Amino acid sequence: MGNFRLLAVGIGGVLGMVGLLNAMAFAQAPDDDINPPVANCNQIPDTNAGDKPPPGKFVATPINAELLTSGQPCQQKVSTSGLADNDTSDKKDEGNAKMANLQRGFDFYSWLTFIAMNSPADGKVIGKGPLPGGDAPTKWEALQNYRPLANVMLANGDKPEWGTRIVPDECKKLDGPGKIVFQLGEEAFNQPFKSGPLIDQDGQFALFDILMNRPMFDYIVKHDLYSKAGQEKVDETDNAKFPLGRLEFPIGSNPSGTAPGRMGAIMLKVSYRILDPQKDKALLSQFHTSDALIYFPGPPATKTGPVCVEKKLGLIGFHVGHKTNFAPQWVWTSFEHVSNVPDAEDVASGHLLPRYNFFNAACKKDCPAVNDVPPQPWDPGETLKFHGNYRSQVIRKKMVPGFILKEVADLNKSFRGTLKGTVWENYMLLATQWPSDHASKTDPLGAPAPTYLANSTLETYSQGRIPLASSSCMACHGNATTHHVPATASDFTFILEKAQ
Amino acid sequence: MTDLTRRNILTGAAVTAAGAVASTNLVTPAAAATPAPAAPSTANAKPPAPAAATPAPFPELDPKELQLFVTLSSGLTGISPAKLAPTVDPIQIKRDYFNAAKFIEKPSRTPNPNFPKLMDIMRAETDPVVAAAKVMNNPDPAIMYLGRSIILAWYLGVWYDPDLLKRYTAPNQPRPVPVDRVISPAAYTQGWTWRVAQAHPMGYSELRYGYWAQDAQPLSDYIA
Repeated sequence: MGNFRLLAVGIGGVLGMVGLLNAMAFAQAPDDDINPPVANCNQIPDTNAGDKPPPGKFVATPINAELLTSGQPCQQKVSTSGLADNDTSDKKDEGNAKMANLQRGFDFYSWLTFIAMNSPADGKVIGKGPLPGGDAPTKWEALQNYRPLANVMLANGDKPEWGTRIVPDECKKLDGPGKIVFQLGEEAFNQPFKSGPLIDQDGQFALFDILMNRPMFDYIVKHDLYSKAGQEKVDETDNAKFPLGRLEFPIGSNPSGTAPGRMGAIMLKVSYRILDPQKDKALLSQFHTSDALIYFPGPPATKTGPVCVEKKLGLIGFHVGHKTNFAPQWVWTSFEHVSNVPDAEDVASGHLLPRYNFFNAACKKDCPAVNDVPPQPWDPGETLKFHGNYRSQVIRKKMVPGFILKEVADLNKSFRGTLKGTVWENYMLLATQWPSDHASKTDPLGAPAPTYLANSTLETYSQGRIPLASSSCMACHGNATTHHVPATASDFTFILEKAQ
Repeated sequence: MTDLTRRNILTGAAVTAAGAVASTNLVTPAAAATPAPAAPSTANAKPPAPAAATPAPFPELDPKELQLFVTLSSGLTGISPAKLAPTVDPIQIKRDYFNAAKFIEKPSRTPNPNFPKLMDIMRAETDPVVAAAKVMNNPDPAIMYLGRSIILAWYLGVWYDPDLLKRYTAPNQPRPVPVDRVISPAAYTQGWTWRVAQAHPMGYSELRYGYWAQDAQPLSDYIA
């Protein structure tokens, strides 16, 4: 049991089963020492489905300022019952309604996660910071909460330490309070499967970074996964270390009975565009920004370097993977900036914004091919300016079913309204991908819902609805492996492949 | 009466599907008999033919009729409705097959007049196996072969025109290999023939790295 499909058929709701299944999950948890109790898991559901109202009486949880300080969910709180059950007409599709209710629950969880992770690191309320647009350094940028990949997979397979801020020598002269250190490697400018870089309308490279929270970091350290040599020695048949016979990052769970809540492993991939503090001054209140020391370590990681440059970065994409109860395939949240690219429908209808980060609405002739990769070479020099006059011309393809698009649009409108006047009103959820059949014995991907999902800045070149070729968080990450020989599954993360 | 049982249907469908799999790898007789055209000279090149018009979108479907289709499909394929169309179903392949059966694609998308008759048979029955038997032994070959096309759709993800299937099985006649059409990109990955074989289609698998070195899950995990 513990399967959304089975619950949908046999029980009619997930909420009622959470306690029992939580207990089962806790009984198996071998890594509680690195997945500590969390006192304030955000357990607000998206509706009153837990009260079991009759059809027509489901009410949405108000989306208001109270949610801005409600904390981070330790796991999703979802139900097969919900707002879609208010449709009592003959035209109601029961299956679609259950899926719509679950999807909305996951999307609500994603917004709560986004707000909590992007709240100021100093504990203040999101949007109330001292920078333009109420911006402030966020929780995920604070090194006590998250570590970038470059601080985990160290040269020579050295053992990383949680508390150490690593500043390369070349960056020390530029360093100062509040600055983040961003080390470039190919994954910082080239999209998954080396499919190409993304170039903004100023001709600059978009940049990508990967971070992880402490339970994930500690699991990597505890099991010697930070080096190739350590991964090669992993023995998954060692029941004491790997009770499930495989790598299994810590699981996020809500409190249940006497068992406390735990956050579980979270990994984060962010994308940035480079902003010029003077030329783009008017844009600064529209983006979450970071002052970054961008370090080019030199060959083989980057063609240029070692050298360090300082840039102001604007957040354009925010992609979270969270391992939780009922989601061993992780829950995948994808946000992006509203002015990144237009939807295909926007282009067709002519309803376009005055400017986009990766689309030129004014281009009428000899425009770059839509969603095409830039011409080679792709390695950035220290200016981070792409060669020639190339600018990406990107359009967001429709990848998720219409009912999800509508639900997400409604949710975005409400949450963005609550964040109005802050930089955060400029971000939108694309959707959440979750396993609809997480316990399937024949589909280890757990039948991802929706089947496809792409962020226009992180999976630009794999948009679509073609099996295997088009972007699906779980289908892609399900292929990730370790350096063990023979290779073994790495529990849906490519982070381990970066070990040295 | 009939000796058609769920088990027989499953076995028969698997055999039918296996035959049809072979057919998908063959060149159609018409194509095989026609010599390859000589490359046109540039001087005589004609302007390219206009692209085929995009067919009108499928109309909004009736959830009750869709459910009826799934129930009948269960009888036809021998696979439970919950497996064919899970209640929480992100793939929704049933919609692709429903539309393939309900509409004739060429020359232009039009309703298949036999589809309502098929639905009427299911509506009149409570047991999908009995309804399936009535379809597969129907005196009207248009109904019988539409039922067969639906079985093939579920097992192979491919649509075979019922009329062509009928000609293919006609005794003492030339047997033109029916033209097939993969119903959708999703349908390519969803054919039940792969699950019955505890396998996966070429180029696509949900299984994790290294699965090829391990035993497949028991058949019951796939189809029960």
